[in-house]
Amino acid sequence: MITIALSKGRLAEKALDLLEAAGYDVTAGREESRKLILQDEKTGLRFIMAKPADVPTYVEYGAADIGVVGKDTLLEEGRNLYEVIDLGYGACRMCVCGPASLKDKLDQIPNKRVGTKYPNITRAYFEGTKKESVEIIKLHGSVELAPLIGLAEVIVDIVESGRTLKENGLDVLEVVADISARVVVNRVSMKMKESEIVPMLDALRKQVAIKNAEKKEG
Amino acid sequence: MGNYRFHTPDGVIDILPQEASVKRKLETDIRELFSSHGYSEVETPGIEYYDVYSSGDFVATEDMFKMQDKDGRIIAMRYDGTVPVARLAATLLKDEKPPLRLSYVENMYRFKLSGGGKLREFSQAGVELLGLDNAEADAEVIALGIQSVLTTGITDLQISIGQIEFFRGLVEEWGISAEDEAELSTAIDQKDLVRIEKIAERLGLSDEAKELLDMISNRFGTYDVLDAFEAKVKNETSRAALQNLREILDILKDYELLQYVSIDLGMLRSLDYYTGMIFKGFTYEVGFPILGGGRYNKVISTFGRELSAVGFSLGINLILTALRRQDKLPEFVEVDAIVGYKDGEGMRQAAFATAKALRETGLKVIVDTQRLSEEELDAYAEERGIDQVVFVEEEEEQEENT
Repeated sequence: MITIALSKGRLAEKALDLLEAAGYDVTAGREESRKLILQDEKTGLRFIMAKPADVPTYVEYGAADIGVVGKDTLLEEGRNLYEVIDLGYGACRMCVCGPASLKDKLDQIPNKRVGTKYPNITRAYFEGTKKESVEIIKLHGSVELAPLIGLAEVIVDIVESGRTLKENGLDVLEVVADISARVVVNRVSMKMKESEIVPMLDALRKQVAIKNAEKKEG
Repeated sequence: MGNYRFHTPDGVIDILPQEASVKRKLETDIRELFSSHGYSEVETPGIEYYDVYSSGDFVATEDMFKMQDKDGRIIAMRYDGTVPVARLAATLLKDEKPPLRLSYVENMYRFKLSGGGKLREFSQAGVELLGLDNAEADAEVIALGIQSVLTTGITDLQISIGQIEFFRGLVEEWGISAEDEAELSTAIDQKDLVRIEKIAERLGLSDEAKELLDMISNRFGTYDVLDAFEAKVKNETSRAALQNLREILDILKDYELLQYVSIDLGMLRSLDYYTGMIFKGFTYEVGFPILGGGRYNKVISTFGRELSAVGFSLGINLILTALRRQDKLPEFVEVDAIVGYKDGEGMRQAAFATAKALRETGLKVIVDTQRLSEEELDAYAEERGIDQVVFVEEEEEQEENT
């Protein structure tokens, strides 16, 4: 039995599509219900539906063998996992954003206050990459508000189209990381269930390659 | 005040009779195994000066339980077994001629901030073989690691063996900077093929190098893997690493333990700690390795003695979890027999003698202290699931029982 942790929503749908294209019967995973564990004895697949931020935890502890989760969550949670495939979809960027007037002047502000839903990514970026101490203000949503009303100078958040930023007079100042959906595998499962997991990963990689080729052509 | 009085702190647990008894037995069996292989047990203190761990940068500051002594010096609770043994080998045991074979079974304390749910106090058993830098020593330690897991009753065991020097040789050959080496090794250790490819592109590595990186991440096996790499790798360091692994496999074959092991050259954690062979052990139903170790030739030099070293540690609590989840916990009997006695001259003395005789046969025996009658004693034994009841009342019966 292989247990796959998914986060409900678009990401899960796409992951199931890929698995199906790779030749796996994912009927169980598509079942419309409030059940959190969807199991199919026949196919030996079990899907668990978890909050995105919890997917790496389920996989690290071996409660799930495989997980599909955004790179943003992986960076924020910092779990000890195999991160084996970039599924390519859900692509966006983790960015430092603020008023456009701060462009190229970010380093000149001392003791910055940074609003974010991602305190760990923010800390790693400013302290690790930029060698700078900042004050991190943890927020839970509408992060764009923080620089507008003076709670923080800048924010670190996910940027897809950039529309929300533009509408609020903000701009991307620096790119922290590229984000997309990833397949992660528990370190023990990879060894103990190698004969099931490795072929599944190979088949998924093949599908991703096909999708990427289609994208290029299209 | 007092709101926490019913609770144990995060990450520490009470272990109840059944698990405590199994745990103690595991530890005893493992101690005997170590000792039967010539490894002498040492006890190091539960607290060390923080400097013991910090001077070699062995442990992240935030992962240690720290406090101050009365002079303001920082004390750290024992984080692992290896570093204290390394300190010991370079100080109190500095005149002991190598090779030294030492072992420990102790509680470790780790204050991991991230994660949660992981134990912060847990028991580890381990050995260190000091002063021998060859494949014979590497293989002895791996073999003892496998045997110690098998001793616990776990039969599904998979050991992955890697070699840090193999990767180091490639890094030298390709002329990669320390920073890029760190990034590349992390990507390989996470089997993050996309990132490996990106790094390889950025560094302008050759197609041959890229193929090797791909093989490192994907090829597991035994001799076949070594053959495949030997055909492709030219630098001395990497070839010596492969030769070391080949010898280790040869020796493990003679131990008749080859069926448990597989080579995984992509295991690249703790590069600044390990200097050669590394290995990890896995079983079903626990998401973490139950066994880990390797060669760490530079650790003891932190304490001023040049001494090569190889060792492993075994997570006793993880093994308990695995045994429980694999339905392999042995049945636990609190009490096998109860001995009661009637009022009267010499009856109690006879009961004690009876209990003693029964205990000598290996049974767990209690003598009734509630002063129950024979009927009450039967009922009590029934209720508590005690198999044998002995009631001492008459001279003749007493003799029958003893």
